[in-house]
Amino acid sequence: MLAVSLGLALAAMGLPDRLRDPITDSLRRTILAPLVTLQYDAERTRHAWREREQRALAVDSLAIRALELPAAQSENARLRRMLGLSDRLHWGFVPAEVLQGRGVGEDYSVTLSAGSAAGVRPFSPLVAPEGLVGLVKSVDPKTSTAVLWAHPDFRASAMAADGSVFGIVAAHGGADAEHYLMELRGVPMRSAIAPGTLIVTSGLGGAFPRGIPIGIVLSEVRTNELWARTYLLRPAVSPSDLTSVMVLLLDRTKAGVEPVWRGARGDSTLAGESSAAATVATAAARAAATVVAESTAAADSARRRRRFRRDSIAAAAALAAESAAVRPAAPRRDSTPPATP
Amino acid sequence: MRLLDALRTFVAFAVLVLLHYTLRPLLGWRLGPDFLLLALLVVAARVRPGAAALIGLCVGLVSDSIGTDPFGAGALAMTIVAFGASWLQSIVFAEDMMVSAMVFFFGEWAFQVSFLFAARGAGGGPLLVPLLVWSPVRAAVTAVFGVVTLMILRPLLRPADA
Repeated sequence: MLAVSLGLALAAMGLPDRLRDPITDSLRRTILAPLVTLQYDAERTRHAWREREQRALAVDSLAIRALELPAAQSENARLRRMLGLSDRLHWGFVPAEVLQGRGVGEDYSVTLSAGSAAGVRPFSPLVAPEGLVGLVKSVDPKTSTAVLWAHPDFRASAMAADGSVFGIVAAHGGADAEHYLMELRGVPMRSAIAPGTLIVTSGLGGAFPRGIPIGIVLSEVRTNELWARTYLLRPAVSPSDLTSVMVLLLDRTKAGVEPVWRGARGDSTLAGESSAAATVATAAARAAATVVAESTAAADSARRRRRFRRDSIAAAAALAAESAAVRPAAPRRDSTPPATP
Repeated sequence: MRLLDALRTFVAFAVLVLLHYTLRPLLGWRLGPDFLLLALLVVAARVRPGAAALIGLCVGLVSDSIGTDPFGAGALAMTIVAFGASWLQSIVFAEDMMVSAMVFFFGEWAFQVSFLFAARGAGGGPLLVPLLVWSPVRAAVTAVFGVVTLMILRPLLRPADA
């Protein structure tokens, strides 16, 4: 039996192609067809599995890129604005990157990639396309340290964009959501500022040139001061968005930068925000009027039905009208008197 | 061999052949386990050497028909391995797994050696590296899978009067 088997095997090996191929083909098509089909299906399954894994990897890569896209777009837009600012400034500035993130306890200062070798000096103003950022505090040859406007000791002489009202801008320092808001202090009691008004640097004192946007008036803050008003500002520059800034050199500060932001104010985001804030303020005023009207109507109705409760309902309506007219704000943490501009 | 034992052996053989044409392509390993040789060894250990040689010839022809290897080389190699396994059937399915693993290993290696020489005679490729590197690795993989398969199929392969 062994000899026969070996002989058959050797004979199979010795078959010429013209005989061997028809034999193998017929075997594959008949009795071996189920095995061939099984093998083919298994191969397809493996390929499908591998393709599925590769497809999943491709989808994951796309998802990661999609997640990175908004950040890249934001950075791109910011860099474009920086380019626009540098075009408008023309001269007398040093671009600098914020080198390190601000950790716990370092919320108010940043390290910049430009130092005295690039012309940066202490007290040089720090600006961004949106407006005022802060002030250079100390300088090394290659790097420098700057304090942001959110620093508790930061002050800037400010005014309304039309020059009608002057005051001192400082960090609000409230809790939670109001932590990164500003205050405009020392506004004379006779000068009321409407919500949505743009506040810019006044140029008084010489630290900052005139006309750099600082923020937009949100509402008045109630304080114990009798001779001055304090307003809450929405800052033009958010400290958390800082990646690159411009350091204004001293010559440029003396020459002034007012046309830079005035020219860009028409299409700047800050101007858009200012108009949006004004729209919001108008809507708030309308809502307050509606509340007053509704409260008055409710008071009238109550007066007709229950005369003995007339006084209390009227008082409630008046209170509602008052609360709607003036936006409540958190009490100031820092109640020290503002420095003289 | 009684009819029930023959039936069990056939079932085990069929399972291993199915694994060869399903699990092996699914794994897609270059040096995947040779379930066809394991099936042949399972059957060869339970039949006479002459019948084992004939079964080896048939299985080899099937393998050569479906695969792309030189036709007849696999048949010749499997005939030799099946005959040798049947001749050594007293130790092939001993209770000791190590012995079984060694039988699988050397069975696969012997098959590879026979196949390579036969294929070379039929115009195959180089011999030394496959013989000394790839063949032992494939034999080891086949031995591992053989032991695992033997443990799984042990109830099926146990004699009916045991």
